[in-house]
Amino acid sequence: MKKEELLTTASLALLELEEGEVERLGEEVARMLDYFEMMTKLDVDGLEPTTHAFQKTNRLRADVLNNNNNNNNTNNSFNRPLIMENGNDVEDDFFVIPNVL
Amino acid sequence: MKDLEGWKKVLTDQDRAKKYREYITGWEKKIGSLLEWKLPEPGKYRDDGSPLSAVPFAVKDNIAVEGFKLTCGSKILEYVKAPYTATGVKNLQDSGAWVMGKTNLDEFGMGSSTDNSALQKTNNPYDTSRVAGGSSGGSAAAVAAGIVPFALGTDTGGSVRQPAGFCGIYGLKPTYGVVSRYGLTAYASSLEVCGVCARTVDTTRSVFHAMRGLDEMDQTTIDFETVSSGVKTVGVLKVEDGSLSAEVAASYETSIARLKKLGYEVREISIPAMDYVVPAYYTIATAEASANLARFNGMRYGLSPIFAESPEDLMRYSRNMGFGEEVKTRILLGTFVLRSGFQDQYYVRAQKIRTLIRQELDEIFAECDVIMLPLFPTAPFHHGQSELTSFQQKQADVYTCLANMTGSPGLAVPSSLEKGLPVGVQFMAPPCGEERLFSVAEELEKVFPAPRPAGYSEEWRS
Amino acid sequence: MGDVLVNDKYETFVGLEIHIHLLTESKMFCGCKANYGDEPNTNVCPVCLGYPGVLPTVNERAMEMGYVVARALNCRLSRKTYFERKNYFYPDMPKNYQISQFQEPVGVEGYMDFEFGDEIKRIRIHDVHLEEDAGKMIHAGDMSLQDFNRAGYPLLEIVTEPDLKSGEETEAFLRAFRRTVRYLGVCDGNMDEGSMKCDANISINLPGAGLGTKVELKNMNSPRFVRRGLQYEAQRQASVLDEGGKLIQETRLWNENRDITESMRTKEMANDYRYFPEPDMPPFCPDDAFMAAVEEAQVELPLTRKHKLMRKYSLSSEQAEFIHDEKGNADYFERVLALGAEAQSVYTWLSSDVQKELNLLNMTLTRSPLSAERFAELLRLMEEGQISGKIAKQVLIDVFEENEDPSRIVEKKGLSQISDPAAIARIIDKVLGENEQVVQAVREGEQKQKGFLVGQIMKETGGRAAPALVQKILSEKLS
Ligand SMILES: [Mg+2]
Ligand SMILES: [Zn+2]
Repeated sequence: MKKEELLTTASLALLELEEGEVERLGEEVARMLDYFEMMTKLDVDGLEPTTHAFQKTNRLRADVLNNNNNNNNTNNSFNRPLIMENGNDVEDDFFVIPNVL
Repeated sequence: MKDLEGWKKVLTDQDRAKKYREYITGWEKKIGSLLEWKLPEPGKYRDDGSPLSAVPFAVKDNIAVEGFKLTCGSKILEYVKAPYTATGVKNLQDSGAWVMGKTNLDEFGMGSSTDNSALQKTNNPYDTSRVAGGSSGGSAAAVAAGIVPFALGTDTGGSVRQPAGFCGIYGLKPTYGVVSRYGLTAYASSLEVCGVCARTVDTTRSVFHAMRGLDEMDQTTIDFETVSSGVKTVGVLKVEDGSLSAEVAASYETSIARLKKLGYEVREISIPAMDYVVPAYYTIATAEASANLARFNGMRYGLSPIFAESPEDLMRYSRNMGFGEEVKTRILLGTFVLRSGFQDQYYVRAQKIRTLIRQELDEIFAECDVIMLPLFPTAPFHHGQSELTSFQQKQADVYTCLANMTGSPGLAVPSSLEKGLPVGVQFMAPPCGEERLFSVAEELEKVFPAPRPAGYSEEWRS
Repeated sequence: MGDVLVNDKYETFVGLEIHIHLLTESKMFCGCKANYGDEPNTNVCPVCLGYPGVLPTVNERAMEMGYVVARALNCRLSRKTYFERKNYFYPDMPKNYQISQFQEPVGVEGYMDFEFGDEIKRIRIHDVHLEEDAGKMIHAGDMSLQDFNRAGYPLLEIVTEPDLKSGEETEAFLRAFRRTVRYLGVCDGNMDEGSMKCDANISINLPGAGLGTKVELKNMNSPRFVRRGLQYEAQRQASVLDEGGKLIQETRLWNENRDITESMRTKEMANDYRYFPEPDMPPFCPDDAFMAAVEEAQVELPLTRKHKLMRKYSLSSEQAEFIHDEKGNADYFERVLALGAEAQSVYTWLSSDVQKELNLLNMTLTRSPLSAERFAELLRLMEEGQISGKIAKQVLIDVFEENEDPSRIVEKKGLSQISDPAAIARIIDKVLGENEQVVQAVREGEQKQKGFLVGQIMKETGGRAAPALVQKILSEKLS
């Protein structure tokens, strides 16, 4: 894998590789991709891809509001104060992030 | 249920609670299985007499428990607290069990040693210079060391079963979708499931049944329609390519001999597509991971550098500083295999191979009630990569990631101690065939129960 | 700047990507309230904030609305639809992938007919797919404030083929489209409030040369701005080509303050969304019951409705245009007719006095105190001669003000017409007695003065005297 490809891939993944990482991670990624090459030896014609382990279809959620008091059997309650506490910078209930233009 | 009785005293008996605290504070320093733990105020907890009532347990730190941190073994989430509780954990809490702590793991579940945790080192209770396995190394070590009677792990490619084998305990990877993934920090969504590490088959079974169930929060959960539990025929995977270490090969033979002695019909089986399991598994796992880990960007929670000048910078710095190299490697790999122009060659092909593997397993299960195969090619190895490089560790997932590719249940069962180190074997059953696994494991347990490391004590609760 | 005439040397191709916010209670993939006008970050939960471990769950109603729209747009409906992850980093998008549809959207290959001038045009629909909205960022000096109330809001995206030929035509299409989704009750179609958004792809080329270099146009917050943005852009592109320049594929923003499009500064990074099937949700295969519900939800679409109104009630195109614009109004119109009223009279009242009252009170017809029943009753009172047209206008205002039935108002205020000849004769005698000089003048041939007497009589009766009777009896008395 060319360095160029690695850097394009990194930027798609929003990772910025430092020099040492380009070498180390690049080498490991290349080794794995080489390993993946063996898949081309197998004839997969006529096989459908499996995207879900068990394709039970038609699971839909009723269009009702989660009132967060967990008085039903659904595990949908959560701790709102902890959500705000986890924010790095919260002001007036907004999550604040830097943006120096 | 005798196994669990004594444990209830941790919560209900002040005197025992004190002894327990002394026991684990000393022992845990050597093991390093827990990232965070607590005990309730003495006497505050009551036992209502049901099997799991007032039983303490630990939870891998990539599973959400409200109020506890949810670090996933990563710098990027080091100080994040879970604002909600995973459904599997919630179900156990509803059965009366009590979360005493969170266990260490390879960062985001990526690894086979727990050495990839950015936060702490976890040692094998049998030899602290060696790894406990991974990625649920903390959960397996905590159970093996007698710190908790059971612990939850997550299994994406063997992450419950392999460390269970390394620590000489039982490790269950349930059928995909039978236990809710809601609250399990996603690594590879279509492969993983919450699993159980426990000292006995009976406890494993109780915990499994208490935590499973169709979940409205997880639309991939399925009804548990158990298959007949009787086991007569055991398919045994023929391994003669020299990939097993001498110790593991010997232990494998021991288990085969036991099965025969117990009267099972043992049949040799082979899985032709086995060679392709690992590349296909890593293609799918890393592809899904690249998307699943995109949410960690320092915006709403998590590591957030103060010197960023734009949202873009903030996201990039947060990810660069927050993720370890193994995680970055897998994100890169997964991003690459999904890129346009490469997707058919890698990702789509891997999904087709997955179909082929499932077909081959279906054929085998038409003839065998369960199959037995190794867990891992080696016994617990030393910390670092001197014995097994990170690439070799990935290749070694071959026996365990099979069950993740097919969605079938898998159970790690203690097989023997080799040179003082535990070695386990693995059983697999068709989907929803957990009871078959318990049935075989119970027979074997009578012959060889889970061993105990030096330093293990039950004295405080006897 | 007025409307620009596009250089007719070139052919213009416009395709649209229309996003509509679906009128559901909850969000697309979690139970949070689908409402983003509330206090910041109140309609949020671990799921729509992209917390570790959470999973999306498909909103049943949104799925149904997706199929309803796809069906109304004549699409081929998917028998097995599924979601995919569209991967890209965006500060407002909590998971940094959007759950959308790609390979198997709810519907593909449809079309929509609409009126443009005297012509019926057909625009092909490429696909209709469900997805989720992102949050909102407010820029404030050297920081940005994030609000995730909108994150996860259900969106339906409708992608057309590049079949539209001009800004004017696009505006007409958008208005017809907006009317359609309002008819279906799936979206309020308010572009200024952002519940309907439209991005356009526009290219020009010499006739017969096919599509040109595509420019994506964003930030047009009304059908009018869409027209003006496209007109400007077609003209700009023509100028570039006329001057021998080359067009570049880019994204441009409509600047409504300057009436121009401006190139968006984007980093030169090729998009590679790396779509793959969403592993967290199984595919959806609509069953017979679901499909029956989708059929059930179909309504007579605006264009058909308009033509029916013209045919059935002999309305002119303009009249039908006015009546059919809102489904509720058209339904109302037909209900009033069913109660016995006459079409032209109903139209006349609706388009003048009723409309005036609605505008004054800032109300919609269907939510006003003037129910179809009350309106029909009002017209009937007039028809039967119980009240005059002039009184009827007063009663109409009273219905709005007092929220009462017209008959009740007429009764309460004693507004019914006096049609008893004896009673009218008595009043006429009184008026004649009070205006002897005028009576004298009329008798001497000054017929003009008769009007004054009629006025006095009507004044005396509060306008209630039956005009014909007044004329008749007055004439008798004066002869
Ligand atoms: Mg879209
Ligand atoms: Zn939500």
